[in-house]
Amino acid sequence: MADYLAHERKLTLKVVYYGPALSGKTTNLMQLHTLLRPQRKGELMVLETRDDRTLFFDVLPIGLRSENGLDLRLKLYTVPGQVQHDSTRKAVLSRADGVIFVADSQAAQQDNNANAFDNLADNLQKLGMDIEQLPLVVQFNKRDVPGAVDEEGLQARWRDTPWAPLCMASAISGQGVVESFRLLLERLYPALNREYQLADGEGIDAATFVRQLSMAEGGS
Amino acid sequence: MLGFEDDPRLIDLLPIERQQRLLQLLQALVALPLSLHEHYRDDAEPVEFNLETLAWLHCPQQPQVQQAAARVLEFVLFYVGKYRLAANLHHDTTEASFAELQRQHAALQASEARYRVLSAQLQTQVDEQVKVIEQAQQQLYETARLRSIGQLAAGVAHEINNPIGFIASNLRVAGDYLDELSASLPADPACDLLLKDFKDLLGESLSGTQRIAGIVTDLKTFSNIDQADFVPCDLNALIGTTCHLLQAESSQALHIELKLSEMPHLAGYPAKISQVFYNVLDNAVKALGGPGTIRITSRPGQDSVLEVIIEDNGCGIPAEDLSRVFEPFFTTRPVGSGSGLGLSVARDIMTAHQGEILVHSRVGTGTRVTLRFLCH
Repeated sequence: MADYLAHERKLTLKVVYYGPALSGKTTNLMQLHTLLRPQRKGELMVLETRDDRTLFFDVLPIGLRSENGLDLRLKLYTVPGQVQHDSTRKAVLSRADGVIFVADSQAAQQDNNANAFDNLADNLQKLGMDIEQLPLVVQFNKRDVPGAVDEEGLQARWRDTPWAPLCMASAISGQGVVESFRLLLERLYPALNREYQLADGEGIDAATFVRQLSMAEGGS
Repeated sequence: MLGFEDDPRLIDLLPIERQQRLLQLLQALVALPLSLHEHYRDDAEPVEFNLETLAWLHCPQQPQVQQAAARVLEFVLFYVGKYRLAANLHHDTTEASFAELQRQHAALQASEARYRVLSAQLQTQVDEQVKVIEQAQQQLYETARLRSIGQLAAGVAHEINNPIGFIASNLRVAGDYLDELSASLPADPACDLLLKDFKDLLGESLSGTQRIAGIVTDLKTFSNIDQADFVPCDLNALIGTTCHLLQAESSQALHIELKLSEMPHLAGYPAKISQVFYNVLDNAVKALGGPGTIRITSRPGQDSVLEVIIEDNGCGIPAEDLSRVFEPFFTTRPVGSGSGLGLSVARDIMTAHQGEILVHSRVGTGTRVTLRFLCH
């Protein structure tokens, strides 16, 4: 749920990177930190890891200021993917405005993907949210790994879900990371605009919203 | 307590004394005055944490020092903030887990209470069923016992019938022979006396055999073992045979008054109905415990009901026992002398005949049992 403080003109949004363990959620965030040059960008905060695996969460704050002085901030979180950290995952997921589900393209990981997706739906339900209504992007990461499940099959399998088309990414080399993020921003905008009149009141239309928050390093 | 995702204030990350200590250290390094301000200042450098400006750092006339000092402060705050975020998240999740545990605990307790109630209910049901089974067993046993007694009685009656038949016949023939014999004998007072006595003996013996034949007939009616279906029963006749049997069993003479009215026949099991009469009359005899009167009235009542009323002027039943007389195994008699089933069985039989049994009693005055049969 977006958090709006009227007296500060501050609107804080929350996007969560969800997915099975070792699917590359933190890598996505690190790449965004490197690749993006949004209007405002904070430090990437990697809270605590053990053997390179997230224990709590990572967070990257980015933001923009509208000409009318709206202070719009987007906090990008990752959750710990390991099964045993479910209560942490649930706490981080609470009040999310959008979710990027990072799946693992390796054939052997498909069960883990499905379990993690079920866990996402389950936790959303416990937190009083509906997975069908929430802006959600599904990214199949690790396209570079040999023996990755073929894309056509994946797209076909997800065609009839509200989350088609899928994003393909290779986060380790930065491919598809920004595209996934932009797709989420596009899916996130309509609901926000309805509630906070971003286009009419703040002069932020969909294109501006996406561009300002996801401008890439070195132009574009 | 802040949630882990709320933006912290400077004071949340560094208490005042820590802020001052940090500022003192920085001042010692740069040998210049530094100050932190809560509100915006044109000539001060903002100190940010996660895009949030927490304070403004001011160093007069030294913008470069001011900037560097602000970055050092941000650097420290970044790591303090990391720790705070992790700690807050940990706190949040621990609280959530604890709340969840408490909820589960409450749910478990509720479910345990439910099972406790269920278990108690089951126990009650089992107890009730056991009671029903015990009762059914006792009745079965009682029925079987009565049936075997009935069979024995019928067998004995059948076996006795033949010899009694020819004894009676022979006695009659012997009487005729005696008449012939007396005619051909010379008149002699001693002999006449002997012959008269002989005649009396034969007459008494004959009436004895008739009595035996009567008892045999009653026994056959009472045992009634081969009639499985409802047959038309003459209640008055059944009352008669039951009284004979009772009289035969009793060690003393019973004074039974019969006031029987003409009644239509009733469809039923004669043996069972006899058993009802027998059980009620047996109680009456025991209530008298000596001299006293039993009065049996039969009369057609209203709405095709046939009534049989059995009254005695015996000891009566105390009010507190009256409500329990139909309970199986309820008896006030000494152990071994009463099964406590008499009236219970009687009521079951009456119910099977769509009838009812009513007991009125007063201690010291007597008891009246009313049997009402529905006659179709």
